[in-house]
Amino acid sequence: MSEETRDKDGVSRRDFLGLAAFGTAILGVVSSVAGSLRYIKANVYFEESKKFKVGTVENFPIGSVKKLDDKNVFIFSEEAGLFAISAICTHLGCIVSPVDFGFQCPCHGSQFNHIGNVIGGPAPRALEWFEISQEIDGSLAIDTAKTVSQGTKYLFA
Amino acid sequence: MNSRFYLSLMLISSLVLMAFLAIAFNREMTPVWKDYQTEYKETLIKNAKDDGTRERAEKIQVGLQQIYIKALNKSDRCTSCHAGVENPLMAAAEVPYKQHSGNYLKNHPLPKFGCTLCHRGQGRALNIAEAHGEEHQHWDFPIVPAKYIQSSCASCHDYKMLETEGGEKVAKGEKLFREKGCLGCHKLNGVGGALGKDIAGIANKAYYYFSMAAVVGERNMYSWIKQHFDDPRKIVPESQMRAFLTDEEADLLTTYMLTFRTDEMPRSYRLIKNIDKVATDGKSMYTAYCSACHSDGKTSVYDEIFARTIPAIRNPSFLKTISNSELKRIVKEGRKGTQMTAWKSEAAGLTEKQIDEIVKYVAKDRPSEKSRPFNVAKIKSDIERGAEIYNNRCALCHGEEGKGGENLLGMTLRDSALSPEFIAITVRDGRKGTPMVPFGNGGIGLSNQEIADTVAYVKNLTNDKK
Repeated sequence: MSEETRDKDGVSRRDFLGLAAFGTAILGVVSSVAGSLRYIKANVYFEESKKFKVGTVENFPIGSVKKLDDKNVFIFSEEAGLFAISAICTHLGCIVSPVDFGFQCPCHGSQFNHIGNVIGGPAPRALEWFEISQEIDGSLAIDTAKTVSQGTKYLFA
Repeated sequence: MNSRFYLSLMLISSLVLMAFLAIAFNREMTPVWKDYQTEYKETLIKNAKDDGTRERAEKIQVGLQQIYIKALNKSDRCTSCHAGVENPLMAAAEVPYKQHSGNYLKNHPLPKFGCTLCHRGQGRALNIAEAHGEEHQHWDFPIVPAKYIQSSCASCHDYKMLETEGGEKVAKGEKLFREKGCLGCHKLNGVGGALGKDIAGIANKAYYYFSMAAVVGERNMYSWIKQHFDDPRKIVPESQMRAFLTDEEADLLTTYMLTFRTDEMPRSYRLIKNIDKVATDGKSMYTAYCSACHSDGKTSVYDEIFARTIPAIRNPSFLKTISNSELKRIVKEGRKGTQMTAWKSEAAGLTEKQIDEIVKYVAKDRPSEKSRPFNVAKIKSDIERGAEIYNNRCALCHGEEGKGGENLLGMTLRDSALSPEFIAITVRDGRKGTPMVPFGNGGIGLSNQEIADTVAYVKNLTNDKK
């Protein structure tokens, strides 16, 4: 027993085997767990994309307001640029409609001004503004997963 | 057994686990779509003509792409590789980067229609073989070959519109389907003959519905349908199908057959501008249901495939002898012992009115003068004498059992509903335009008595159970 071969650092063959076995086992378990964690966030979900194309700049002549009914977004076009405001009331999620002073919610009477700030009713927050970007094919895309600060207007060529 | 054994076991199994993890890691990190998207992005950056384009190209995020369509419960990930389908800058690029051809995407935006609605294939798959459903992928509806793709248009559009607005192939196929008389043997949506298979919903049949043994090339539904037109008996050995088509016609018919789908589009997807009307005049229906076998009905032809002579049902000499109600009975009930289908509504699905129209068309050229009557009932007949005459004179063409059939020019005589008078007149006067010569006074010279004897024997054959 005491005749076990040792290398110059004094580690016996059996010790080395043990170390290697436990070492790789732990490494294996750790990397398996780490790998599994990667699946917590899926690459894609079974839901409609939050980002959608809305056509080219020509679709939005200056001074126009477009409402995308299926997406519940208003798109405004002004001299200063384009901006997208959510049509979903921040109170209970009804769809607001455009009125003289801005937006009005039909459910509980929340009122918003032209840039979406609350001016009346139970709504707790201003209407959200969304990011607008230009895709490689030149069309514009709105991403409702990305809100931007009020007053962010986009100019596109 | 000692600790050394267990330690070695642990080391080896841990190493095997690590190896698998390495493989999994490698697979996870290098999906095929990542290469395609990276290449797509780099090409765009390289070819960018202005700073704006380059900037936008650089902003492209490489990642799994998916089009989810709630209304269809579809999630198509095709754009993960086919990244440039919506990009006009990629009009001249190669597949898979190429922009979608034509202006189809303009009217069929990707977020609403996706890809597999028209192209089929497996939308969720992330490698080429599985996504396209190539051979041995156990995906029943592989990607539709480009030459048949118009079949998908008919899911939402009517043929009148398709004819002029980009669906000419499937519209032509639809026309051809009627002209070639496919319904004479195949049932579709409740109407059609019984010789062939019911073809309703065939484009949604699983892979194993089709016998692929003799299919050449890619083994899938598309090849099967096309090749069963080229050589029916090679694909289905027991088939009696009469298909005489050019290659182009076979492709058009294949395109049309691929419209027989069972998955109906939601209403919001359909665009029906015109209601397609099926022609219900006698001629069109004759073409659709009868012409595949009877052609124009003017000549009787021995058919190798049916191993029987197909009668000339529009032959004036035949029409002279037979009444419309008799014709209608044959159309309705079919002809036992032959390939002739019973077309009544319970069987092949034609209505009384439709059958009347067809009969009217068949009998269109009936000569005004009727056959001279032949009152068989008045003559006392001798069956044994009839047998002798039959075997000497008739069996050569009609067969000894009177069934007609293989290598015989004559028809079957074993139809209990054939009146003795009809047979007697035919024997006496012959059938002009066919090999049946007059056996009566004007021809071979049999006496009325002899004819009556023969008729009695023939009618007796019918009662025979053989």
